[in-house]
Amino acid sequence: MQNVDPALPARLEEIVNLFQNLPEEEKRELLIAYSDRTNECSPKEGETFTLSDIRKDEECTDSVGVFLKADSDNRLLFRMSLGSHVQTLTRAMASILCQGLAGSTAEEVMAVPSGFVPKIVGTELVRQRSQTVYYILARMKSACRQLVAERRRANLASSTS
Amino acid sequence: MKTYSHPEALVETAWLADHLQDPGIRIVESNEDVLLYDTGHIPGAVHIDWRADLNDPWIRDYIAPDQFAALCRRNGISETTTCIFYGDKSNWWACYALWAFRLYGHDRVKILNGGRDKWIREGRPMVREKRSYREVPYAVPTVRHDKEIRAFYDEVRAFLQTGGPLIDVRSPGEFTGELLHMPEYPQEGALRGGHIPGAKSVPWKTAVREDGTFKSADELARIYEEGCGLSADQEAIVYCRIGERSSHTWFVLSYLLGHKRVRNYDGSWTEWGNRVGAPVQRP
Repeated sequence: MQNVDPALPARLEEIVNLFQNLPEEEKRELLIAYSDRTNECSPKEGETFTLSDIRKDEECTDSVGVFLKADSDNRLLFRMSLGSHVQTLTRAMASILCQGLAGSTAEEVMAVPSGFVPKIVGTELVRQRSQTVYYILARMKSACRQLVAERRRANLASSTS
Repeated sequence: MKTYSHPEALVETAWLADHLQDPGIRIVESNEDVLLYDTGHIPGAVHIDWRADLNDPWIRDYIAPDQFAALCRRNGISETTTCIFYGDKSNWWACYALWAFRLYGHDRVKILNGGRDKWIREGRPMVREKRSYREVPYAVPTVRHDKEIRAFYDEVRAFLQTGGPLIDVRSPGEFTGELLHMPEYPQEGALRGGHIPGAKSVPWKTAVREDGTFKSADELARIYEEGCGLSADQEAIVYCRIGERSSHTWFVLSYLLGHKRVRNYDGSWTEWGNRVGAPVQRP
């Protein structure tokens, strides 16, 4: 299989490869299958997280929560909570990215280019009023930036104490 | 107690549940969420997409009359079919599709009160099966009714001179110019923020209850007639950002309050706020 983007983490690249050769109708079906599986990436009872970022955006979407857990090697696990009115494409993208970015570092996530999105979603669906497909990736990157900043502050504090 | 001027333009979920098999109706789902219909819809409903089906792909305008006729034919809609529209976002796009159908003279149109969310909340059936209908004849409309229910930029400019009521149905932040786009809709940004001079701010949401159903006729009259000075025979223009939220208010004024001369400026803020020389007001 051709490498679609050298900056993509391997798991995400596998998913992109799966999508990009599908005809539009099958892309739609696979996106719906992913959107049906968003419960799998929601926070589980008793889980604790390194960082949580829950926001409700007025008018356009429902609340979206990004939860992030870093292991001792700084490898990340993402969970997402999605309000019932979050768009189907956004739900599908949340499910894809939670799977595709699992095990990546914060730096790797921040370096993910957004150019892979149309390969997954297809040209017919990326359009006015469906641009929120980029939103989930932006929120995950934002959570990673917060994590990196907190780490730097902690390192600075420990080196000066 | 005041009643809706055209109560026949609304159907309730319970009524629709009992009439799913009526041969004279076609249930039409129109959403902002492009995949929502595929995840489940009211049994028998067809999907009409505001952009792919109703908008011309090259020119910012609606499809040609022959394309509209073809759209109806392939969805089993004849000139005598009553189309019952519903959708997400409290029926924004359902009202937009209804308004577009009216542009082509299809007058047998209704809205499902409370839309998709209410139907689901009540535990009514949803299916993924996409039903196809036998093609039926639909004559190509010879007239488009833009003059009656649609306003263009130049007409809005001329309307300003009359001091006629312009209703801005966007959120308060968009009206004041604090926001250049709806949150998370940056691609709809405008170069100037604010509102059309003289416009009154009445967000679309003012017309609905928490459950997405329309407020009573008395409440609507208080908002639009007492609050804004609109009246049944007076000309009025409504606008938002791309014309969908204002279609919702257009439906309220035209059908529920019976105002006869309401037009929707669908160019809205994405045209006005980007147009060279267009005057803008900020409080």
